[in-house]
Amino acid sequence: MLEKDGTVQLGNDEKLELTKDDAKLLEILSSQRRAKLAFGTTEDYLKMLERMKELEKKGEIIVHHVTEEYDPVGVRTLSGRVKRIPTRETWQHKSCGQCGHIPGYISAFYWIMSELGIPYVDDTNQTSCTAWNYYGSGTSNPVALSAVFLRNMHVAYEKNAYPLIHCGTSYGDYKECRYLVIMNRDIRERVRAILKKVGRELVVPEELVHYSEWLHVMRHEVAARRKHDVSNVKVAVHAACHTYKLMAEDYTYDENILGGRKPAPTSSVALALGAQLLDYSNWYDCCGFGFRHILTEREISRSFAYFRKIRPIVRETHADVLITHDTGCVTTLDKSQVVPLAQGYKETIPVISDSQFAALAMGAHPFIVCQLQWHIADWKPLLAKMGIDWKAAYEEYRSYLDKVKGGMKPAFIRSPPRRLEPRGGAKAFRVDEPVMT
Amino acid sequence: MMMKEQGRPVLVIGGGPAGLQAAKDIAEFGEQVVLVERRKELGGAPIRWSYHTLAPDFRPTEEVMGPLVEFCEKNDNVTVMKGCVVEECNGRPGEFRVRIKDESAKEFTEMVVSSIIVATGFEHFDARVDPRYGYGRLPNVIGINELEVMLKQRRVVGHDGRPPKRVAFIFCVGSRDRSTNPWCCTVCCGVSIKQGIEIKQLLPDTQVYMIYMDIRTMGLWEKMYWDSMEKYGINFIRGRVGEVYFTGERLLVKGEDTLVRGPFEVLFDMVVLAVGIEPGPGTKQAANVLKLSLNEYGFLAPRLPNVHFDSGKEGIFLAGACVAPMSVEEALSEGSAAAMQAVKFRRNIVKKVPV
Amino acid sequence: MTGKEQEKGKKKDKEIQTEGEKGKFIIERRYVDDSRIIEPEKLELGGVDMSGRWGTLVLPRTLEDFDTEIYEDVKDLPRGGNIGKCWQCGNCTAVCPVAHEHPEFNPRYLIHIVKMGYTSEIKRHHKAVYLCSGCGLCSAACPKGVDPQGVMIAMSIAFKAHEGELKEL
Repeated sequence: MLEKDGTVQLGNDEKLELTKDDAKLLEILSSQRRAKLAFGTTEDYLKMLERMKELEKKGEIIVHHVTEEYDPVGVRTLSGRVKRIPTRETWQHKSCGQCGHIPGYISAFYWIMSELGIPYVDDTNQTSCTAWNYYGSGTSNPVALSAVFLRNMHVAYEKNAYPLIHCGTSYGDYKECRYLVIMNRDIRERVRAILKKVGRELVVPEELVHYSEWLHVMRHEVAARRKHDVSNVKVAVHAACHTYKLMAEDYTYDENILGGRKPAPTSSVALALGAQLLDYSNWYDCCGFGFRHILTEREISRSFAYFRKIRPIVRETHADVLITHDTGCVTTLDKSQVVPLAQGYKETIPVISDSQFAALAMGAHPFIVCQLQWHIADWKPLLAKMGIDWKAAYEEYRSYLDKVKGGMKPAFIRSPPRRLEPRGGAKAFRVDEPVMT
Repeated sequence: MMMKEQGRPVLVIGGGPAGLQAAKDIAEFGEQVVLVERRKELGGAPIRWSYHTLAPDFRPTEEVMGPLVEFCEKNDNVTVMKGCVVEECNGRPGEFRVRIKDESAKEFTEMVVSSIIVATGFEHFDARVDPRYGYGRLPNVIGINELEVMLKQRRVVGHDGRPPKRVAFIFCVGSRDRSTNPWCCTVCCGVSIKQGIEIKQLLPDTQVYMIYMDIRTMGLWEKMYWDSMEKYGINFIRGRVGEVYFTGERLLVKGEDTLVRGPFEVLFDMVVLAVGIEPGPGTKQAANVLKLSLNEYGFLAPRLPNVHFDSGKEGIFLAGACVAPMSVEEALSEGSAAAMQAVKFRRNIVKKVPV
Repeated sequence: MTGKEQEKGKKKDKEIQTEGEKGKFIIERRYVDDSRIIEPEKLELGGVDMSGRWGTLVLPRTLEDFDTEIYEDVKDLPRGGNIGKCWQCGNCTAVCPVAHEHPEFNPRYLIHIVKMGYTSEIKRHHKAVYLCSGCGLCSAACPKGVDPQGVMIAMSIAFKAHEGELKEL
């Protein structure tokens, strides 16, 4: 609570004195941001990165750098700045929605990393980013959000693995929180006090990396292991609002992909695999999930997803599959097709993630790994076009289920052994052993 | 190049409407004038972009520009230097020592001039900078400058050679926008409406839509606006366009109709962007060489914004679109005003200094 | 959305038609027009019951074309000929006594949607034209000589002639 005398009371009975400038800083910055257009906020973004370096120098925060140990690859962002994407030993920051609604999304992704022989850390010690609470109800507060964010970042830091964010919502939220924590001393000090109570320090990641950027950087390795021919598969891509519209200057763009006009990830994966990438008129439109709309305006979300995205995509491209890179987008675009189909509308298209599509192309099992049985819109024609015998695969899946019912342990995707040692000694788990079987 | 003994000439930088008018007036005063033009032809924007007609009464451009260009090329008092740029300026008012470079021959000319008029004009906004409209990427998205040539040739066609059945004009491209240029170009509304009328005269069955924020047909140009609606059935949509998408055959224009408070996504055959006026490289270069100040928008800053010809520097005068966006008729008046100042200045000097 | 499209999408089952009752569970209900809500009384797919709110769809409101058939008719009807002069200044609505009491009657807006040919908007608003009292204040105030008083009369005739298409589905 900012006291009248310009001080703030911290948890451990310390009183922190804020200068007038600091207290006003966030307000000034937000109104400046509002005054400029999307690419005008590049200044703020670069200022934040500068400030992060300053704070690190002063010893106020620890920055989790993308060091050479993570085998980073540089990509260009919309701001022109080069962003370093770690490729090995990443800490999987999972998505509640993916694990809950589209389990194939994440198992396909782990399967790919496993196939490529790339070690990763699948930690159970992750807390939800609570971003949906923030976007859905607007009742969260910046301190709580940032505390949860930095708590997760500290866990990754301890494990000596670089955080890789699976969900677009988490990614967008974390970009906003990082900006707040760096630029606003009040928030930063309160978060420090909270983390202190759980025995953690302030560790801010140097780069916030979305898994689609990882897949973009690794797409040639993925394509090299392609088993099925997808050259006759027509693909339409949908990019998530939270990845490329929130703090737009931080996402990956590539001059050689779509002329650098649209974000590179996901489209680049489809192109690398040899599929036909098609454009459509509502590319930039939201999928319909919105922030809180899927909760409070679900009829409109569902209708928007169908009439503004699915139907035009089908009519304009006649694509075989719609690929996206976010939990919410896959959920919305896929599940929103039910009601229109029940009402008699004809247009439909399967919606899967880039990780599922890449895994399928690499030969992953469509049901045991990619778990397409959870999806609503009909994927049978897609599998047929890819040369995958879905009937046989389904039989395999049925017999696998029977075996599991009979007592067999379910399939588990293991990470290849790690090279790096966790930091922090006693508190860290042994990371090359699965915690849950 | 012949220099008469009567005294030092006036240097006019820029051979557009303002510069030509200034040169003509100075010459008719009996004074010498050197007219330096960056491009290989005189006439400025109206000639460079082949303006078909001039607002407000659809006067053929030749009627206005022809006599000016002819006078300057033929008159003995005017020395025209085409394809040339003023590279250096030293000395003092009344005795400016300038170095003029011939760009192609790579030759230099040095001379002493009494006073200088800067009339370096403008550039049209390059709409590639604003990716919304797909200019430079999509077929059949053109600027008002490119449309003038088509109108002059009496052939308005798309990239496939066929006349468009439905045309959209998008106002304020590269103007009144913080992300591109924040000023108003004053003439684009009038020019676009003029062109809309000319398209209807050429292709009566073509539907023309003007997608505008405000209509700024000032003064007597207002008549074109009334006629466009009442005589030619041109449609006006108050709103903005968010994106132009090429379907493979036609252009899908996506925007908001403010009066309906709702989105529209309609197919058009051709989209014409009202690309605005912005300061050109000639203006920047002249400002550099003559140490003139530019205002926050990059236009030449007169001492007082209300008096364009007064640059604040003795012996240097400003005229035309290099100071602020304006129409051809205004530029002509400004050229004349600057000419008057230059001659007044020169004759005062002559009185003081024995010849 | 054209009438044909709405027809294609609907199932044969009855729809909840009562105005005001449709879609009452939609949180921002007052911003959604009745005619855009499709709430099926009975809907099921694969044995799953999706009746009522679970199967409700909201049709988009994007204007997709300019259909100027009614506009052309108005231009040819007596006193409708000056409709083309309207530049949407709003002087007519500003002086209209009916508009002050009944905001759903907006002469400027009626002229706009007819000129532009926004069929979905005409369907929503055409009935309001009968609220015109014929007082003529609009024609006195109009700077362009549109004669909105006359245009309202012409539009009412044109709307009647196109009655079938304008019926809300």
